[in-house]
Amino acid sequence: MVPLENYLALSAIVFSLGVYGVLARRNAVLILMSVELMLNAVSMNFIAFAAYLDPTRVTGAIFAVFVITVAAAEVGLALAIVIRLYRNRQTSNVDEAATLKW
Amino acid sequence: MATEVLWWIFAAIVVGTSLGVVFSRSVIHSAIFLIGSLASVGAMYVFLNVEFLALVQFLIYGGAVTVLILLALMLTRMGAGGRLERANGPQAPFALLVGGGLMAVLIGVAVRTAWPNNTSDTPRAISINQVSNGLFVDYGAPFVLASALLLVALIGAIILARQEDE
Repeated sequence: MVPLENYLALSAIVFSLGVYGVLARRNAVLILMSVELMLNAVSMNFIAFAAYLDPTRVTGAIFAVFVITVAAAEVGLALAIVIRLYRNRQTSNVDEAATLKW
Repeated sequence: MATEVLWWIFAAIVVGTSLGVVFSRSVIHSAIFLIGSLASVGAMYVFLNVEFLALVQFLIYGGAVTVLILLALMLTRMGAGGRLERANGPQAPFALLVGGGLMAVLIGVAVRTAWPNNTSDTPRAISINQVSNGLFVDYGAPFVLASALLLVALIGAIILARQEDE
């Protein structure tokens, strides 16, 4: 079986891709998808640590369940905000909704 | 040995589809790539012997979340009609720098640290019994809090997205 480092490296790659997506994209839904990538990488990390370093307890799996719950709540709210933004401004690009920017 | 080969195949799928999500020019293609990425991370959970979470991953992420994202894309691109617009802002090169740097640091730390008890044999299977015991007995209060969070988020989403007659 593969060692722990492989999982850690894999989730580091996915997390960094998510960071790149959040920073570079203009469309709010695309930013949200990149956030999903980051959350997924984190919960994969949780489970890998739990499986390799503390295999007698299930804390890692429970944490991943909570991460998935929070991600679901976040997606619902964020998409409602995006739909609201589109209705008011006819755009879903974050750089065109810059009224609060000084 | 066969498991190891399969692991590398799925790791390649995870990386490839995640690259597709952040580098694809079309928003819809990004969403389709996202389904692949989430599903192959679910396969990683199977390799880690946590079947319950793999199931949750397929159902909630592969099903519900991506459908929600596709619906939002449909609602917010009614005028676009498949036309591609500029997907990245002018800050994209700096974002590439930050992401690449972060990746190098994280991988370097993960590989160089000497993890204790790192046995590198097959992880012990976590049964659905153990998960439910942990969720409902040991972590009962956070579970109730999480359900309250979901309820509040759903009500908030409905209020935000509601059509108002003005």
